[in-house]
Amino acid sequence: MSENSRALKLAEDNQKLANKRKKAKEKWGIVLDTSKCIDCKACTVACKMENYVPVGFYNYRIWVAEDTHYAKYPVISRSFQPSQCQQCENPPCVHVCPTHASYKTADGVVMVDSKKCILCKYCMTACPYDARYESHTTEAIDKCTFCYQRREEGKDPACVETCPPKVRVFGDLNDPNSEVSRLLAYNEYTVLKPEKGTKPKLKYIK
Amino acid sequence: MFLLKTKLNRRKFLAYSGGTLAAGAMATKFSTIKAIASEHGKQSKEPGTKTVPSACAICVNKCSLFADVKDGVIHKLNPNHNFFKSRSMLCARGNVGAKVPYAPDRLKKPLIRTGKRGEGKWKEVSWDEAYDYIVENVIKLIDKYDNRSSIAFASTEGLQEEFFRHLTSVVGSTNSVRHPTLCLASNIQGYSSVYGTLPDADIANAKFVVMAGSNRAEAFITPDTIDLAKNRKEQTFVYLDPRATKSAALADKWFPIKPGTDMAVVLAMINVIISEGLYDKEFVDKYTHGFDQLREHVKKNTPEWAEKESEIPADEIRWMARKFAENAPASVWYPGRRSSFTANDVYYRRSCAILNAIVGAWDRKGGLIPKSGISLKSHEFIFPLYDRVKNRIDGGKVNFAADVLPEYIKSNKGMPKDEVAFLSEADGSWVLFRDAILKQKPYPVKGMFIYKQNPVESVPNRAKTLEMLKSMEFICTIDIQMSDTAWYSDVVLPESTYLERWDPAHSLSGVAPVVIFRQPVIEPLFDTKSMKDITVDLTEKFLQKDAFWVDAWEEDKAYMEDYVKTFKGVPMSHIIEHQLSDYPGAYKMLKEKGCFYKTDKIPYGKTLKEGARLKTKTGKIELASVRYPEAGLYALPVYQKPSQPPEGKYRFVVGRHAQFTQANTQNVPYLLEAYGHYENMLWIHPKSALKQGLNDGDYAIVKSSAGEQKVKVHVTEYTRPDTVFYLHGFGRLSKWLTNVYKVGASDAEILEDYAETISGNALLHETFVEIKKA
Ligand code: SF4
Ligand code: SF4
Ligand code: SF4
Ligand code: SF4
Repeated sequence: MSENSRALKLAEDNQKLANKRKKAKEKWGIVLDTSKCIDCKACTVACKMENYVPVGFYNYRIWVAEDTHYAKYPVISRSFQPSQCQQCENPPCVHVCPTHASYKTADGVVMVDSKKCILCKYCMTACPYDARYESHTTEAIDKCTFCYQRREEGKDPACVETCPPKVRVFGDLNDPNSEVSRLLAYNEYTVLKPEKGTKPKLKYIK
Repeated sequence: MFLLKTKLNRRKFLAYSGGTLAAGAMATKFSTIKAIASEHGKQSKEPGTKTVPSACAICVNKCSLFADVKDGVIHKLNPNHNFFKSRSMLCARGNVGAKVPYAPDRLKKPLIRTGKRGEGKWKEVSWDEAYDYIVENVIKLIDKYDNRSSIAFASTEGLQEEFFRHLTSVVGSTNSVRHPTLCLASNIQGYSSVYGTLPDADIANAKFVVMAGSNRAEAFITPDTIDLAKNRKEQTFVYLDPRATKSAALADKWFPIKPGTDMAVVLAMINVIISEGLYDKEFVDKYTHGFDQLREHVKKNTPEWAEKESEIPADEIRWMARKFAENAPASVWYPGRRSSFTANDVYYRRSCAILNAIVGAWDRKGGLIPKSGISLKSHEFIFPLYDRVKNRIDGGKVNFAADVLPEYIKSNKGMPKDEVAFLSEADGSWVLFRDAILKQKPYPVKGMFIYKQNPVESVPNRAKTLEMLKSMEFICTIDIQMSDTAWYSDVVLPESTYLERWDPAHSLSGVAPVVIFRQPVIEPLFDTKSMKDITVDLTEKFLQKDAFWVDAWEEDKAYMEDYVKTFKGVPMSHIIEHQLSDYPGAYKMLKEKGCFYKTDKIPYGKTLKEGARLKTKTGKIELASVRYPEAGLYALPVYQKPSQPPEGKYRFVVGRHAQFTQANTQNVPYLLEAYGHYENMLWIHPKSALKQGLNDGDYAIVKSSAGEQKVKVHVTEYTRPDTVFYLHGFGRLSKWLTNVYKVGASDAEILEDYAETISGNALLHETFVEIKKA
């Protein structure tokens, strides 16, 4: 089986899984502590391996941005901000999709049904985070699925699992006893571009 | 805390990552990676999904992993959560391991050269043909030079390296040369002279950490890299480096120290700690030797003096010294790993070890911790004692030893001039070793076996390495890809990748030791073998040739028949079971959990117990060394002012990156992409760029007395104006490294080949370069 057909199969399997999980009660989210990030790109490479995202600068579901706060030798201040699809509770990408290819699963994951996608790219324009790209393997728009294929086994998403300092914690925001809920209870946090009203489920600890 | 507005969008990202270079072109060029196995390899059709524990082999850390295999194809390598040493991670390189067996550029069949050396003309041969060719050439060389040591053996660390070392013994050469003298030999020597061992640092529990030139955020060492990153809110981290690396991004303070002056800072810290009475008196009295000498010795090394040397303000040095003492024993001056910096390196590492000792930050929580291991049973072999063997070429008195020293240290009385004072018999000293071969002194070395190492790219002064290879009558390289060294060889043997083979169990020593092993995640895709099989097969072939044994003893052949019997047809699983036989249940744990350990707790204080002795002459921590004066060296670390680049020249430093630590991952498309560029770039400060008439994105010629390279210019505030840098492992000579063949610049090409003569370590920060617009 070629890498392409594997990618297609994964996309289909995830649609089936989303159907199967129609009554799921969880609301998945990620809490990040970016102070630990060393820009090692283990997360971005792991995502490509896990989800058959091909080589190419345009093809990615996840990225690490660098912020240089000040750089005038010898005073340098820089840090890193890993991110991916925010799994918005109020997702503009879903609202604009004319074919309902983009949708939200019961457990709050925004996905693309590649069979319905007509590549109009409205969603790419609508997304304030530039989280989507055109996949030439599925011939559809592709994006982070929170590694939906791992949901049944209860495994962390690939990017979460492999990260050396564990910048991300993945879990159920609906469960008050989950680690994500606890982290949010005990830390101040923010989201990216709150002014867009997208209600991201990626929360950044301050 | 800040947050970014958003990431660079896809279009901007392209501009950011190198302007006009077409990302599309990159994508097409690399797409060959797809389905390569199904096209050319005997891919297994085994249906279903399985999860197989094994260990990564891309770098020295050997992180344990679980491989997800779907229908006989590796889908994903996941970190092993039982493996506490990696803090259950796999780095970017480890993740990309899933594609290693399927890489289009890998070696697939034994090859014998048909054209000229380096011309790239090969014929595929059977293993038998390759072996016959090798055996014939080995015997020819031994006979011609009447000397088994006329064949050299170069290798680097790995779980199969012991079998390569067996091959060295079977052939009977004394000339083995390994990677430590390109890396950490001076570190081992410096720390061992104080503590009898090179310790680890308890970064997880340290409260105050200084790293000087150890770029832990990018050069992964487990668990230190991860613990350092994790501790950002609890720990004070001071970072000294001429470059603002990603470690500088993590640091509470970054000081762009003047290269080669680190020891001045350490001595001044010792000075402050002693003169202000901040040292741990009880500890010093009980566990150390030579404190009074040290007190006298550092009197002159005031922070004001050190400021002039290092350009780090005296007040900051005082602050560091006080904090270091205040947080002790949870204070660490980080030993680091690669220590091949400048000529005074061994004394410098001694001074670092001493600093930690006087505050009692030794073998206690948060300080330096002696490594522990889990001892495994091994097979004891008796290798032949041949007559036609000579002492190693870089051992004993070497009358040209002083030639490898930089000029400025030649008059230093604490630096040997006619030998390497503490040469490791197994490792040799690469720079001196190569010189000895080129000079044919004291005798000719005309054959070479190379395993897993790539001296063309790893030993400074590439032209000299090529000259050395040219002088060889026979070269055999064993690797998984066509390294530059393989490219210049006569016969190339393809090793199975780490995901296709068994490797023996191995104890990873450290603050808390753990045992790992490897087993095939998939069956070999191509006609490849493990180093173990290669050694056993070749030994069998040698046994069939009487000419090989003329200078051996009668029983030697029998010993070698035993050797073959131990391994031939014996599954590695049996060997591993034997290795672990002292620990009931260990083999089961290894197979199920992917690793074996007794405890993940750090055993503090073993060396501080009543009656415990360190492996030093006095059994104590030697602030003043007893052995060194006996060998004509200084007992205490004496600072030596380094030379500085003359007007118009720059100091060239080397360094690592999270995607490329050694020279074996630069050809991997996913990693080039994660790095964000297609080629390496010269870091140069804006002022210096202006002086040289260079703009960002220009190409420049970087030139030293060793050679020159053309490289893209990256103008950046992230480096000292007197220091330039580019990444290791680009500008390659092997055409089979398609993505980096002549792409970017090679550091080996321009590094001048200096070494120090205490441990024999190469010096990679002693090269001054001219820079011109290309
Ligand atoms: S794996 Fe973790 S530390 Fe590395 S870049 Fe991603 S988020 Fe940052
Ligand atoms: S981040 Fe973008 S792609 Fe993801 S849910 Fe929000 S709008 Fe949609
Ligand atoms: S959750 Fe999965 S799909 Fe999303 S970025 Fe992480 S690895 Fe990629
Ligand atoms: S640090 Fe990375 S490359 Fe090294 S062994 Fe671990 S996963 Fe492999």
